[in-house]
Amino acid sequence: MTHLQVGWSEEWLRVGVDALVILVEAAGAVVIFIGAVLAAFQFLRVLPRRDPEQFVPVRLTLGRFLALGLEFQLASDILRTAIAPSYEELGKLAVVATIRTALNYFLAREIREEQNQLQGGSPSGRSPSEKDPPR
Amino acid sequence: MTEVVTLTSWLIGGLAVAVGAVGFAATHDVRSSVALLLDLLLAAGLLRLSADSSWSVLGAAAAIVAIRRLVIVYLPVARESTPGPMPTR
Repeated sequence: MTHLQVGWSEEWLRVGVDALVILVEAAGAVVIFIGAVLAAFQFLRVLPRRDPEQFVPVRLTLGRFLALGLEFQLASDILRTAIAPSYEELGKLAVVATIRTALNYFLAREIREEQNQLQGGSPSGRSPSEKDPPR
Repeated sequence: MTEVVTLTSWLIGGLAVAVGAVGFAATHDVRSSVALLLDLLLAAGLLRLSADSSWSVLGAAAAIVAIRRLVIVYLPVARESTPGPMPTR
């Protein structure tokens, strides 16, 4: 393979990955936007009841969409590392990926805890069907 | 695309403030209103982060994540530790 061919394939790889990053990042942004709009509509529906407990399903809906959007954004971060040119870019990518991964972890935990609360269980993660064994 | 995402993030930020204020006015419950406000602000921050990943935006996103976590963990404790009314005899 000549030097010119290697240059061309690197250029094509860069263009392809760039296009994929934009596509995946846009998908994540659309998911987050849809989640926020749906949560706003759900909020308007439960507002007349004036019950703070009714906000939990709204947050659960938004949390699920945020978690899905974060997965897309993490995927685009990983793709971007393939073409990151400088150490500063790599450092930023590392920080963004760390924030998104930590957030994804906390969101998943909160969704699980609040689902348990909605089902009437304890926030510690035990479902109501898990009763103490007979003595 | 960057301009559209930035504009959308501002819209969701405004929506967050409106939802938080209306929610608090309707229920007078600080924890649920602030949690909803912070979740929507987080959505705005994540959108902003995908449009512009400068160090200042990164710092702001990390701060929102940390504050949100602190509020969710500590606010219920603060509310539950508030002494209730004295029992009548």
